[in-house]
Amino acid sequence: MLEIKNLHAIVAEDDKEILRGINLSVMPGEVHAIMGPNGSGKSTLANILAGREDYEITQGSITYLDEDLAELEPEERAHKGVFLAFQYPVEIPGVSNTYFLRAAVNAKRTANGESEMSSMEFMKFIREKVKLLGLKEDLLTRSVNEGFSGGEKKRNEIFQMAVLEPTLCVLDETDSGLDIDALQTVAAGVNALRAEGRSFVIVTHYQRLLNYIVPDFVHILMDGRIVKSGDKNLALELEEKGYGWLDNLAASK
Amino acid sequence: MSKSLVYESGLGSLLAGLSFEKEPQWLADLRAKGNELHKKMGVPTPRNEEWKYTPLRSLASVNWQTGEPGPAVFSQDPTHYAETAIRVFLVNGRFDRNLSEVPATSGLTCMSLRDAIFERSEVADYLGSVAKIEDHTFAALNSACFVDGLFIHLKAGAMIQPVIEVIHVTSGDEMVIAPRILVVAEENSSAKIVEQYVSDGESKNLTIPVTEVILRRHANVEHVRLQDESEASYNVSLWETLQDESSEYRAYNVAFGAGLGRLDQNIYLNGRNIVTRLDGVVVARGEQILDNHTKLDHAMPDCNSFEIYKQIIDDKATVVFNGKIFVHQDAQKTDAKQTNQALLLSPDATINSKPQLEIFADDVKCTHGATVGQIEDTFRFYMRSRGIPKAEADAILVYAFAAEVLELISDDVVRERLEKRLYKKLGIDFTV
Repeated sequence: MLEIKNLHAIVAEDDKEILRGINLSVMPGEVHAIMGPNGSGKSTLANILAGREDYEITQGSITYLDEDLAELEPEERAHKGVFLAFQYPVEIPGVSNTYFLRAAVNAKRTANGESEMSSMEFMKFIREKVKLLGLKEDLLTRSVNEGFSGGEKKRNEIFQMAVLEPTLCVLDETDSGLDIDALQTVAAGVNALRAEGRSFVIVTHYQRLLNYIVPDFVHILMDGRIVKSGDKNLALELEEKGYGWLDNLAASK
Repeated sequence: MSKSLVYESGLGSLLAGLSFEKEPQWLADLRAKGNELHKKMGVPTPRNEEWKYTPLRSLASVNWQTGEPGPAVFSQDPTHYAETAIRVFLVNGRFDRNLSEVPATSGLTCMSLRDAIFERSEVADYLGSVAKIEDHTFAALNSACFVDGLFIHLKAGAMIQPVIEVIHVTSGDEMVIAPRILVVAEENSSAKIVEQYVSDGESKNLTIPVTEVILRRHANVEHVRLQDESEASYNVSLWETLQDESSEYRAYNVAFGAGLGRLDQNIYLNGRNIVTRLDGVVVARGEQILDNHTKLDHAMPDCNSFEIYKQIIDDKATVVFNGKIFVHQDAQKTDAKQTNQALLLSPDATINSKPQLEIFADDVKCTHGATVGQIEDTFRFYMRSRGIPKAEADAILVYAFAAEVLELISDDVVRERLEKRLYKKLGIDFTV
């Protein structure tokens, strides 16, 4: 589904190289966790997948469903099923979640040659999603993220993910700043969305989230490269030993 | 005033042709005063500080005629912004009996100002008592030449439920239209008023309304004013409100129309425990010039005023904001908040923003903030990452920026219809 080969990327503003040769292969239905210390480039990787323009790819390739992802605009990626749950979701006062999501869903449907959903159809559709994730209905009428607590914002990201029904879900430190209850709700939401044809790339600093969302693979990113890959046990090992024991590995790469 | 500070204009000579027979002496005096003041002040050039960013050269060059009565049918029916039984039409500044619907409502008078001048003795006390025409040349001209207008009176204790909708239509070309509006809310009364100024087709007129609003003790009035005239039009308005103790006045100015639109809106907080909102949404496109001067005058202690002005400026348009807050020595414990935010959508758009706070009391909370910005990339990227194309994302963000003010309007229908109008003004396809 997703094939990243020798990906190098810089910050467009100051040419600083952040990613220095990433290789990653994600098959349909798999959950990959990307872990790494601060500044390792894991958030950059997540944002590059969604098409943030602050970064520039200097080498390598990202192939998604047999297409060159780097060639696509952020909205085109969304239409083809890429979703990024933001580390810092943006507040948009004056735009209700319902309006926002209907605009998003209909843009995707139009781009894929489907007819737009009517207001009635859409209301029915998102109410089902609210129920699926066990959220409160007032979420629908509230302005996008406006005045939301950290936990509410992250839950809203997962809700948007459920509504947009993506094929590739990228979660950028969705667990940061969450208390244990919010963490569990977010994880339960993700687990409810796990499906055969849907893959996840979960970027996280801590192992904690992976107690609730059990990954198929864990990759450790340091200094812009994946220095070690393994199964869920790698995350546990990391929790025990910290990132320090991998420093030599990073240096030797 | 020296010659170099005014343009040559034919506006003064219009007055020579007007005669108002059989009017009461107090009104004849008001007209004479207005006439004299307008002749003295003329049409100011940008060298006059108060008109620095409001270029009146092209206005002064038009061969203006006195306003004639308008037609009975318009090229397009004006939008009704309220779902209400009380609807008043003023066509070319004249109360239109055929189009207006004013069912008998307990405690409410809503009638032609001209009739009220002859039938209601209290008009003599109120009319001209709030508007400071000596500071405003077009208000002086209005005083000299207004033919009719609207008198709204709320009896003490009257709570008027239906929204009072007032539709000002100007029709024809190159005419000076001078509506005069007087609103008096007696003690403990309440009402919601929605006024709109629109043109019949692409009419090119000069509209110079003067609106005076008086709130007695504990009166509560919400007052929305939409200026949506054709871009061929000029609209230069004076809107002044006097508030007594414990009254609440919420004023929302929505300025979308006119090629050149200028509003001076002044509110005098003249008693204790007053609450005032003075908010505005301005959208200027093309070559529009929209100028809003506001003044909140805190004369007494323990009053709160809130002001949010949001401006969206595209193309080669120019927007001006001048927000004065005066806190007099007696006005201790004043809480005044002013926010002015402008969103520039084009490199050729211009904003001139000038907050002006003059505080003579020592125990007050007064804050002001002015920001000028563009659409932030983080916002845009967030929406695009959800699949919303760039142009639509921008439109939604711009809409949301302005909607923050419209959201404050308490009547659901009025708010929703104004939001729809905003969408249209911004060129967004309204879908939800």
